[in-house]
Amino acid sequence: MSAALSIEGLTVAYRLEGGERRVIVSGVDLELQAGQVVGLAGESGCGKSTLALAATGYRAPGAEVLAGRSLLGDVDLIALKERDLRKVWGPRIAFVAQNALGALNPGTTLERQFKQTLKAHSEARGEAIRTRTLELLDAVGIPEPDAALRRYSHQFSGGQQQRIAIALALASDPSVLILDEPTTGLDVTTQARITAMLGGLLADRGVAALYVSHDLALLSTIADRMVVMYGGQVVEQAACGEALQRPRHPYTRALLQAAPDIEGRRQLLGIPGRPPLSVQEGRCAFADRCTMAVEACTTHSIGLESVGTEHLVRCIRATDPALATPPRELTAKRRETEGTPLLTVEGLVCCYSRHHEPAVKDVSVHVEAGEILGVVGESGSGKTTLLRALAGVIAPVEGTIKLDGTELAGLARQRRPEQRRDLQLVFQNPMSSLNPLHTAADTLRRPIRLFRPDVSRREEQATIEGLLESVNLAPEIADRRPTELSGGQLQRLSIARALAANPRLILCDEITSALDLSVQAIIVELLRDLVTRTGVSLLFVSHDLGVVRALCDRTVVMRDGVVRETAETEQLFTAPGDDYTSELLDAMPALPTA
Amino acid sequence: MSATATTPAAVAERLARKRRGLAWARTFEGRVGLAILVAVALLVTVGPLFAPYPPNEIGVGVPLATPEGGHLLGTDQLGRDLFSRYLDGGTTIVLVPLAANVLGFLIGGLLGLFGAYQGGRTDAVIARVFDLLIAIPSLLLTLVLIAGLGTSWSTLIFVIAIVTAPRAGRVIRGAAQTVAVNDYVVAARLRGESVWWVLCREILPNASGPIVAIFSLYLTYAIVGVSTLSFLGLGAQPPSSDWGLMVAEGRDVLTINPWATLVPAFSIGLLAIAFTLIADSIDRRTVGNEA
Repeated sequence: MSAALSIEGLTVAYRLEGGERRVIVSGVDLELQAGQVVGLAGESGCGKSTLALAATGYRAPGAEVLAGRSLLGDVDLIALKERDLRKVWGPRIAFVAQNALGALNPGTTLERQFKQTLKAHSEARGEAIRTRTLELLDAVGIPEPDAALRRYSHQFSGGQQQRIAIALALASDPSVLILDEPTTGLDVTTQARITAMLGGLLADRGVAALYVSHDLALLSTIADRMVVMYGGQVVEQAACGEALQRPRHPYTRALLQAAPDIEGRRQLLGIPGRPPLSVQEGRCAFADRCTMAVEACTTHSIGLESVGTEHLVRCIRATDPALATPPRELTAKRRETEGTPLLTVEGLVCCYSRHHEPAVKDVSVHVEAGEILGVVGESGSGKTTLLRALAGVIAPVEGTIKLDGTELAGLARQRRPEQRRDLQLVFQNPMSSLNPLHTAADTLRRPIRLFRPDVSRREEQATIEGLLESVNLAPEIADRRPTELSGGQLQRLSIARALAANPRLILCDEITSALDLSVQAIIVELLRDLVTRTGVSLLFVSHDLGVVRALCDRTVVMRDGVVRETAETEQLFTAPGDDYTSELLDAMPALPTA
Repeated sequence: MSATATTPAAVAERLARKRRGLAWARTFEGRVGLAILVAVALLVTVGPLFAPYPPNEIGVGVPLATPEGGHLLGTDQLGRDLFSRYLDGGTTIVLVPLAANVLGFLIGGLLGLFGAYQGGRTDAVIARVFDLLIAIPSLLLTLVLIAGLGTSWSTLIFVIAIVTAPRAGRVIRGAAQTVAVNDYVVAARLRGESVWWVLCREILPNASGPIVAIFSLYLTYAIVGVSTLSFLGLGAQPPSSDWGLMVAEGRDVLTINPWATLVPAFSIGLLAIAFTLIADSIDRRTVGNEA
């Protein structure tokens, strides 16, 4: 059977501002068969999106295809003129981007958007267009398609916008569909529904799809084949189950070990370091971060070798049986805590304005000393609002927050300095939580001056270096500014800033959601280690149940501003006591077990 | 500031950072603007020392002499040497707008920053006051204020500051608002930092790009404004040698000695262009840096 899209030796480079050329994707061969979904995985910066875009023939500003072809049937998209590409895009190959709202025209109704697409790419005219649009909207699961036609894209929820973008891509009946992280950023239940809908649609229509995602568990639910990229090259390619259950490349294995798993409680192993900025020729690009690297890995270039039925691996130690070291299982038993409540919240109600429904309605929770308490929920569940109220960013309308039995004032500035010291907040977005003009040392110095009278000016430098060390950052970082640090380093610095105050409870607001899985794993293990070493308590807000299972002792499930369930984490995962918890658990994609 | 800062790599890095901060000076517009500015600054500061005659002394030459008569720019009706007056008269055209701008930016900036920080009703009130003041035509406001307060340099500075303040304040408020939503500002408030500390250490430095650009731009307006008022007889008063006033006095003899008008007028224009170019290049660099 001939492939619907076959990518041959595709090599893409970006031209930097200074004129330097950086090769991002090198010599990628890939075939998409009709009715089959190929999953493309890897960390950010590995060239996944660049490859996906270049394969459609799209010429991104600054990007340049140095070699290779992308054959759609017998037409090479790379060689095609812009004018001819426009005839191919839509009816033969379509693209769904991560940001659906950006892909939809904000200025017109759905009806007009579909009309424009269908007029350009199909024979349908007049009433047939309307019928076809309604069919498409119905197929992607938009409720009341008739009414939806008159609405604008911003009037739909994020999940619905993505469904509409998919419907628009399918409107012209393409034979190939490229999807770039289409469900990243959506809630798990929404993600599960969209993926299920998409899987059915693609199979029904016999569309060949390339599905780009960093989430291996998600890919395992939809992909037939799995392609793992690292440093701009394909490092492993196999049938989906084979790649996930018997990974042969150390990178694939490392990704799997870093991925949180809702099926069991095990340690997350991060991958230290970062992917290279450009393709590394004449050596294994992963060797620097690989635990199994030998000298030969860096001395000559390594080709993609077959190690089984349709299983290709780019590693000289791929067949070495000694390599498979499964991650450590964590004991299901929770860590011993003193059992004394540190923070008690009773009947908390929080509102952003008088005209809106409260974001948090009557929430009561407590955090024990030395405990890691998880708070999970989807967007709009009020979990972040709860955290902001505890930190004193917003004042609750009703209810009490008690620290050691003493009631706290609503806003941080009304609280006593030692109360401010005891509760420290770590933010979700590491880019915006650190002042871009302050060096790491400046950032850490301020809380030390305010909250640590015991540290003299002379000891400050040593204290700063100690803090950096406690979050595994090198002392040289002290002089760096946020723009010179990676996302993982920034988040570690944010944690160090919280630690600088010597707090008793650290409030973490989705602190790993902006990070790669490989980095998330490092942060999660760092937090666990900090709690064990210093006895600080943690309130860990997350939408990712896998991370919560790996880290938290007890877990609170929130929805629509109310607590649905509070239980020991293991109990919550093995025997959920609430329907909504079960629903969340079912929606989380699980990795196939080996 | 620490032991590691002395390694060559760290020093190079710091220099590179500094160079990035002055990146605007490397653009073409930036260079031209800066060159003009330096030239005018030299003229204004050192120039008076080279004046061949005291600027206000009457009868150093034949009245209304043209440049050919030994005086570089000729003389005026009272026989004063126009070149000496030109060299002397530049000081006010630089200093008065500068002082007015600094005052205007201080008033408007403080209000705008505070509004952005505080938000809510305070911010709304401040913003509406700005809008109200901006709604009054600036020339009308100036004329009314001068009519009430009389003419003097300090009045002029005050009046132009009042015109500049709401405009500067609005820009600074906007710039500060985009910075104030960042989590590091929230973190500072949670630490219990004072308003002043948050404004000066967290918000202002990160909003400085657009503020510096707009400062340059409003300096241009102020220069043109001061010259206009002097020309209308509401700014510099005789026997001052202010360039705006020189243009006004020279226009009566435009046909006899055009240089008496053109040279100061051209200098004012040049100065205004210099600041516009600098504002433009800073603005472009800050926008580029954010991307």
